[in-house]
Amino acid sequence: MPRKRGGDELMKKVWRLLDTGKQSAAYNMALERVILTARSRGMVPDTIHFLEFSPHCALIGYHQAVNLEVEEEYCKEHGIDINRRISGGGNLYMDEGQLGWEIFALKDTPGIPRRLEDMYSLLCEAAIAGLSRLGVQARFRPHNDIEVGGRKISGTGGTEMGNSILYHGTILTDFDVDTMIACLKLPLKKLENKQVQSFKERVTCLREVLGYVPPMKDIKKAMAEGFAEVLGVELKPSGLSDFEQSLLDQELPLFQSDEWIRGSRPSQGSQLQVVDYKSPGGLIRVSLRLDPQRKRIKYVFITGDFFAYPERSILDLEAALKNSSSQPDDLLFNVRRFLGDHNVIIPGVTSEDIFQAVWTAIERVEG
Amino acid sequence: MQVDNWRIPEDLYYDWGDYWIKVTGNQAVIGMTEAGQSNIGDILYLDLVSEGTVVLRGEKVGSIESGKWVGSLKAPLSGVVVEVNRQLEEDPRQVNTDAYGQGWMFRMELTDVGEISKLMDPRAYKAWTEEQMCLAKEGEMSS
Repeated sequence: MPRKRGGDELMKKVWRLLDTGKQSAAYNMALERVILTARSRGMVPDTIHFLEFSPHCALIGYHQAVNLEVEEEYCKEHGIDINRRISGGGNLYMDEGQLGWEIFALKDTPGIPRRLEDMYSLLCEAAIAGLSRLGVQARFRPHNDIEVGGRKISGTGGTEMGNSILYHGTILTDFDVDTMIACLKLPLKKLENKQVQSFKERVTCLREVLGYVPPMKDIKKAMAEGFAEVLGVELKPSGLSDFEQSLLDQELPLFQSDEWIRGSRPSQGSQLQVVDYKSPGGLIRVSLRLDPQRKRIKYVFITGDFFAYPERSILDLEAALKNSSSQPDDLLFNVRRFLGDHNVIIPGVTSEDIFQAVWTAIERVEG
Repeated sequence: MQVDNWRIPEDLYYDWGDYWIKVTGNQAVIGMTEAGQSNIGDILYLDLVSEGTVVLRGEKVGSIESGKWVGSLKAPLSGVVVEVNRQLEEDPRQVNTDAYGQGWMFRMELTDVGEISKLMDPRAYKAWTEEQMCLAKEGEMSS
């Protein structure tokens, strides 16, 4: 059940509901910084913002490097914009049917937890409440995902400026997964149908869950109601302030520039490795992207012909290992802890087998 | 001195951004406290300004990412950044694992030593951290 915030109906605070429609990636990325600046200076109220993208685009996280995350030639050939978010997290693809949602608020807003983990959980619950109004039974998956039956339907991330936060996410509506696979660097060999199929099974969208895509205005209405309910606020539709519009005009050239999109970032890597490991319970195939310099598993997919109970546990394990340490002791600890805490049963496959399969892939990258 | 399991060394100063500051003459070494890194979680990226950058107290000196969250690192004092712990850019987890040692972030030459009086001593930081924990618990209870 979503937690209601904000108390008495009569005491509800009014937040702005802002919908800027379809815009370019540079416009939307610049606008995030503009609204956050305006909020931190007290020039606009707390805000829920809906955004859409046109043309379609590939976005990377603030600290990521374009060449490691995006298939640049493919994007160029297919008119896919590339840009960088001001928030953290990984690469993502936004086609013209996706909906982005954003929360801009003061850090000390009553009811918004101070600890990051608690804040992620609450703000994702607000999005989940919106999805439930559409008939989608979603749930929060630590650290920052929203999933349906183990399959991701929304990724989230955030940042801060002064006394204010931005927390945002996406809702996959009717998703062009083939283009996503083609334009992003993912932990899979794109020419292998089984790998591509297995990746597709890790994400879902409204069309798949509901059997149809609700009109965008209905999706926005449901999401807005969910945010208002869980945050305990009243939403009042409004546009950009004069200050925001003026600042946007100033900021946009930077967000269109290579300086912003491809500027230097901390040294990092992203190498793909796929290994097959034979265990008594069956074949375990591990596909991973590793940052060997920083000793991090960026993403890992674990497939094979074994059976895991509960069925979704392997997808949850993948989420738990994302961005985790690739050091063998840490990896073994994380795998054992996850499988133990979640009472996972995989006949013929031990936690040591899972560890060994992932570790073999890591060792091959590290040479 | 400590709060919960977080150590608060007595030979350091502290500020409200959960930074520790070790002052020697007109120089200061700055890092993140154990309480601060615990709230942020497992640190994935840490990016600091170049040596020679002049900053005022409260100005941004870098960015830090954990769990898809990008936060700003702020200078707790005014001065020139004279040395940056570049090891952290490749292995930022040292802030998590050794906050008061290998996890130091940068060294500054101070332009106004008098600003040190605006920082918290260990006792004040302990009290402030305990207050933050109470506020967080109150938030959980009202949920």
